[in-house]
Amino acid sequence: MRAVVKNGVGVFHPQGFLDGNDSAAFLSIEDIEATVHNNAEMILVSLKKVVFFNRNGLDAFVKMFKKVRANNKATVGFCDYDSKKYQTILKFYKDELNFSLFQTQEIATLFASSYKNTNKTVLLYSEDKSQRAAMAIELHDNGHNPIVAQTYEEFSEKAKNESAYDEIVTDTYLGQMGQNVATRVTGNAIIYTLNAFLDTEIGSTFNIAYHNNSLNVGFRLFIFDCYKVVSMNVHALNFFSKLASSAAEYNATICFVGMTFEKTPRSFKETLEDSGIMFYPQMDDILKNKELLEELGASSAAVVQNKRALNKATVAELPNFIDATVATIEMMTNAKALKKDVQLQTISIDNTPGMIGSSIGYYGDLDGMIVLVFPLAIAKKACELLIGDSTDDIELILDTLAELVNIVGGKVKTLLGDHNISVNITLPRTYPNVDSLMEIIETKKGVQVDLLFNEEKFLFFLTR
Amino acid sequence: MITQDKIEDFIERIPPAPEALRKTLSHLKAQDLTKAAVSAKADMALNAYLKNIVNKPIFGFRNEVSDISQIFGILGVARSQQAVHNYMMSLLSPSKWELFKLNKSSFYNLQAELTANWQKILKHLHIENKDIESAISLLPASIIVSEALFSEKIEDVKLLRSVNDIDLNTILKRLCETDLFDIAERIGKKWEMEPITIEIVQASSGVKPSVDAELNLLGKWMHMLLFFTLSKSVYIDAGLNDFIDFQTDYVMEIYSDFMQVMEIQ
Repeated sequence: MRAVVKNGVGVFHPQGFLDGNDSAAFLSIEDIEATVHNNAEMILVSLKKVVFFNRNGLDAFVKMFKKVRANNKATVGFCDYDSKKYQTILKFYKDELNFSLFQTQEIATLFASSYKNTNKTVLLYSEDKSQRAAMAIELHDNGHNPIVAQTYEEFSEKAKNESAYDEIVTDTYLGQMGQNVATRVTGNAIIYTLNAFLDTEIGSTFNIAYHNNSLNVGFRLFIFDCYKVVSMNVHALNFFSKLASSAAEYNATICFVGMTFEKTPRSFKETLEDSGIMFYPQMDDILKNKELLEELGASSAAVVQNKRALNKATVAELPNFIDATVATIEMMTNAKALKKDVQLQTISIDNTPGMIGSSIGYYGDLDGMIVLVFPLAIAKKACELLIGDSTDDIELILDTLAELVNIVGGKVKTLLGDHNISVNITLPRTYPNVDSLMEIIETKKGVQVDLLFNEEKFLFFLTR
Repeated sequence: MITQDKIEDFIERIPPAPEALRKTLSHLKAQDLTKAAVSAKADMALNAYLKNIVNKPIFGFRNEVSDISQIFGILGVARSQQAVHNYMMSLLSPSKWELFKLNKSSFYNLQAELTANWQKILKHLHIENKDIESAISLLPASIIVSEALFSEKIEDVKLLRSVNDIDLNTILKRLCETDLFDIAERIGKKWEMEPITIEIVQASSGVKPSVDAELNLLGKWMHMLLFFTLSKSVYIDAGLNDFIDFQTDYVMEIYSDFMQVMEIQ
């Protein structure tokens, strides 16, 4: 069984009875390895569709939690349970509860830094005073407004006014939380969250390949959330100076938010500022200031300085990229695709209204970016399989389109893997209109393939 | 990925029940075990199947039972009819499983486990009705249909499910506006199974409750039994645990009774 990964949160969905040794069958060695290496910042096991479990039944998953924690420090735990199940798990693991428990998946995502929607008003209660404090701090750090009830009576009273809160958190327990450099995307900015002491370790906990490819696919604003940083040493200073230099090649901006210099030499700030890093006291100083956002490059990508040509290796694999895309769209729409035209050029799109786009980068033995441009009707049709109903909610369509491009990326990865070419994929990006897409790739040369689905033109573009 | 044409093609290729089987079932319907055994003897594969299945440990017979008349005699009319229906279903199972890691033996074991536990449930509910007993034999049709339709699309299904917790039944419903249990119903009709059998299996999908309260209750028991069975390691390994969605809310009403009948503590 494999986890479904969305917005950096991987969830397993076992069903039925988690009984004794049988439940070990849910996770093969390959499944555990795949989970360890999938880079999710949170790994959860949903108990929503489990009607019965015993200690041995849960142990198979708890063993996996330990492996994942040991390897990548992701937050791990169970979610989607009722009060009775919560009490049972607490009873089973009373002295060795080093994983987390989240009443629902929605509550879990409040504690994940990749969660897109911040600023939720959250009522929370736990019998354990230290848990109440830990949850409040985590929620606050993730941009929410926690309201802590100190007694059960106070909680019950406040909870009656359900509509006053976006979420009500109870029957939740925070075990060891993630310590990796977590990533979340807000609009066109990427936010990294840093913790505690920044030293030589930052070189291994920061995913530099992911960062470089984010630059390559057009992200231009990188914000380091430093509220939880205690101090920084000279190794970390060098690391960030180099990062700023490489960002400058792309006209990208790096900002530090909430960094205090009580335990870090003041001179470090000057060095970082000299290398181009900007400092802001609060996250809202950037995210709520549209003019500043534009100036920093988060809404309009600057022209990339180092245009890179498609290389021979990429062109040789072109049929695989096209096949992966066509097969995915065919699978999602149940419609046949007709290949109309293939050309090596800068992208050319009829700027008709109602076109939306998406892109995903890949890196490893090969690197580059796949761009897909859909008429809204095809995008809606392709997303119906995942959503279930036809919808006109453009946000939902764009979100689902991101999942679809993820599938394309996954398929490309598999097809290239069959040819012994190993690649990883970046987070997908979506574009609500052609203009926002053109800002990123207008000047890039690549292979453009025009396809027809149900008489509607659909565009595939491969570039570096 | 899967089209209505492919579904029609699959249904089209299901052979009608063989003559010997039809006669056997007709005699069982008339409660004539002797004539039923004579008709069954004409079908060697049915003979072999019945011997294999009734001698499995879950049926608990001390000595090997090998003669067809003896088998029918021991099983009685209702369970004989159920066994013959199970055999019909096994005719539909593929020679080589691709989507699910099953083989002839593990599929027969699945049928035997479902059958034996369904008997326990019906005994607990004090139900003696050969068509209701037979209903369990149609349940694995949903698994066979999944294998037939999705086996060539394993990689697509895996990719789709890597980004969305979506079961095969929902995928099929969204693509073709028909689901695995609708196709099972068509198989049941083609093989002239009783309407009551078909309705219970439809309810056991967990997403299409029957308007008949009694049949709906049986659908709940069957849904729970299916997931009790699919939570065993051999079937988890086979990839069967999440082929359809387990509807926990649908079965909560019978949860305590089920735990008692299956002696789960």
